[in-house]
Amino acid sequence: MRRSFQWTIILGVLLALTLGVAACGGDDDSTGTGEQNTDTSTPQEGKKGGKLISLWTDDVDNIDCGITYYQMGFQVCAATQKSLYNYKPEDAVNAVPDLAESDPQISEDGKTVTVKIKSGVKFSPPVNREVTSKDVKYAIERGFFNTTNNGYAGAYFGDLEGAKVGADPGTKISGITTPDDQTIEFHLKKGTGGVVAGALALPLSAPVPEEYAKKFDAKNPSDYGANQVSTGPYMIENDASGKAVGYQAGRRIHLVRNKNWDESLDFKPAYLDEIDMPQGNDDTTVAARKILDGDAMINGDFSPDPPVLKQVTENSPEQLVLQPNGGGRWVAMNTTIKPFDNPDVRRAVVAGFDREAMRLTRGGKLIGDIPTHMIPPEVPGFEEAGGLEGPGIDFMSHPAGDAALSAEYFKKAGYASGKYEGTESILMVGTSEGVAEKAALVAKENFEKMGFKINLKLVTQDAMYTKFCNSPPAHVVICPNVGWLKDFSDAQTYLDPTFNGDNILQTGNSNWSQLDDPELNKMMNDAKLVTDPQERADAWAEIDKKITELAPAINWVWDKTPLIRSNNVNAQASAFLGQWDLAFTSLK
Amino acid sequence: MAAYIVRRLIWVVFLLFVVTLITFIVFTVLPAADPAVLRAGRQPSPELVESIRKQFGLSDPAPVQFIRYIGDILPFVGHDGVNFGYSYQSNQAVLPQILDRLPATMFLTAGAVVIWLCVGIPIGMISAIKTGTLLDRLTMGIALVFISAPVYFFGLVALYLFDDSIGIWKVFPGSGAYQDATDIPGKAAALIMPWFVLAAAFAAIYARFLRGNLIDTMQEDYIRTARAKGLSERRVIFRHGVRSAITPIVTLLGLDIGILLGGAILTETVFNIQGIGRFAYEAIVRFDLPQIQGTVLFGAFFIVIMSLVVDILYAFIDPRVRY
Repeated sequence: MRRSFQWTIILGVLLALTLGVAACGGDDDSTGTGEQNTDTSTPQEGKKGGKLISLWTDDVDNIDCGITYYQMGFQVCAATQKSLYNYKPEDAVNAVPDLAESDPQISEDGKTVTVKIKSGVKFSPPVNREVTSKDVKYAIERGFFNTTNNGYAGAYFGDLEGAKVGADPGTKISGITTPDDQTIEFHLKKGTGGVVAGALALPLSAPVPEEYAKKFDAKNPSDYGANQVSTGPYMIENDASGKAVGYQAGRRIHLVRNKNWDESLDFKPAYLDEIDMPQGNDDTTVAARKILDGDAMINGDFSPDPPVLKQVTENSPEQLVLQPNGGGRWVAMNTTIKPFDNPDVRRAVVAGFDREAMRLTRGGKLIGDIPTHMIPPEVPGFEEAGGLEGPGIDFMSHPAGDAALSAEYFKKAGYASGKYEGTESILMVGTSEGVAEKAALVAKENFEKMGFKINLKLVTQDAMYTKFCNSPPAHVVICPNVGWLKDFSDAQTYLDPTFNGDNILQTGNSNWSQLDDPELNKMMNDAKLVTDPQERADAWAEIDKKITELAPAINWVWDKTPLIRSNNVNAQASAFLGQWDLAFTSLK
Repeated sequence: MAAYIVRRLIWVVFLLFVVTLITFIVFTVLPAADPAVLRAGRQPSPELVESIRKQFGLSDPAPVQFIRYIGDILPFVGHDGVNFGYSYQSNQAVLPQILDRLPATMFLTAGAVVIWLCVGIPIGMISAIKTGTLLDRLTMGIALVFISAPVYFFGLVALYLFDDSIGIWKVFPGSGAYQDATDIPGKAAALIMPWFVLAAAFAAIYARFLRGNLIDTMQEDYIRTARAKGLSERRVIFRHGVRSAITPIVTLLGLDIGILLGGAILTETVFNIQGIGRFAYEAIVRFDLPQIQGTVLFGAFFIVIMSLVVDILYAFIDPRVRY
């Protein structure tokens, strides 16, 4: 009896160690090749039918496609709604008509955007009727209601004549006109038609029937999301009254076929019959193993932990796709606080920073490339800014850091020793959650190697964003855990909120470096008025180069989202979403 | 007795008010994050944040927000019946979500209670009767392990060993199986591991507690008298010893059930059981104040009600107790 008791203890300790190592993520570099398994090939023909399970940890930010502003909500909406424009899985750059029948027409002065929509597209039950241009008008108007408060309506559609954030439900926007059932016109106060046209690929432009939705939108908060109708190949399972019984907040989203969807009016094949998204799979190691060993499963809103990534790369690379997601991560330096108000100090820091060590905290080469400038891959302007090779800026050319180059820049900044010589304590606020905490610790170490005295404060991610890093009055000097994702394929959505001095806010600020260069601001404000897509890409590429030269941040990875699937799933990644494309995925 | 119950119910209302007030103060006056900025998303312009504050009443003074919340949760005062507010994140009403999750928590609690009573009570009795023997030492040693092992760790070990999809011995339905199950037998099967994981520490605590109580009780004079009168040892133990020693267990049981009905957070999280505990965890992670307040209120309600139930039961179990 005593012996079995001892063995119980020994086994318990061994299991704890195993789980502890797995949970910590280890510190070994991936030996996989970071460039493989990036599947952006043309989607293959799939088998019709079947049910797919996508494991999630948490819920969407909002089930209402007119409110959601994060990738996972966009993934669901891409399957259930036809926005005016959308992206084919293999092309993250060029949106194609979805509800629209052709490309948007932008007037010479950029103040009018005209879109023609297809005939014959119908709403799902219980509405059942054909979609008209008025439904798109209402969809965008409701984004401004004070019972919905869409997060990007003001940012991208705020130049519409008559648009006002926080309007009462039912308020019309005079700048959206519908001369006939198939035509919609957007009249703008400024010549920002180029960016408005791009924003029409966001789910806010998916049509909403006013006669059905207005009673839900009149409530505070609107519960249209829990009663929504669809125009895409799938819909959230609902009952006869329209209540979305397939949506159980925090528990599950269940999609079924939209019987009113006409595949001849859509570029999406929609192979699957059902898609089930159970939530609450917090132990992502367990969830990842279920997917890899299981049947008809994919990952949803989580990435596999670094040890699982390593295991998949070595043992079953065909079950892994590394999808660039149009996002990046950086360590922001506050350009309004000494010594980071000196560009040469910032350049010295970037030059000497070991960005490979930062990348290792998230899994190494697999999870993305080390940037050479700002705009990430798959976003217009990336190639124009130099692509992977970059524009040849010296302090961005050494991923593991170059102490000699760093010393040169410190000397230029007046620090003869080649390191920072100040004695003050510098406030760095990072997150205490998951692998991001490790990144904060690596960042601290890097700064300290260069002579800085760092006071690192670790808080929850929400507190970091809302109380510290996104709040200029908090006077945080370094924010090591920040990053951004494009909203749609336009570099403005990536660079303008994060580096335009006109966008520095006292709360909710995303220009974490508080970069406020008048010349740069003017370049960005001028670029917003460019309507031709190639000219926009060129203009934002120039802006990218200037931002990079000013070195407001240590840009340490262009993100790739690791996506895993069961062996019997023919899963197709969406280059735009950086997630699986549910409407192109099938079972083998 | 009736007067006692009425007095206690009034006390329940007062306690719930105080708990609600403390929760409100902690999460409103001393917040860790700004819920309006969180809700606004990635480009929170001042106009948008202001509109969201107005939407959720966050721009009103704190006392006004609190009074409005109390009015909404009282059945005949709020205009929407009993209204626990709406999630800042998902816009979904909080009370229906709590009620939707309650059956999972109740099922989890009920099963665990049955197991820990069926295991803990007999082991406690045997240990007390066979004090100092190898059996006593072994059972109390194992009890110590179960008390010491955190539920989270124990749950992960159970999944690692017995989960039918990823375990070494694929025996029981694992994480997420509860919400996939569609009938009672399926849900019961999905709860086998969570029941045992949750019950393990409680069974150990109850065994040790009963053992201690019973050992003390068996030293009492009236036990010696019972033996002297010629009663069988079985009758002495069960009729006189256990009956007296078990009354504190009733109090403990009531409080433990009350606490678990407020949500076994760790067990529900490990096994992905969508109960109130998990809901509370999500609320805290998202800093969703209406959800936090709703789950705290529910948890407090069950604890004070179970405390009242236990006190009433006492009057029936122990004839010396009168109200």
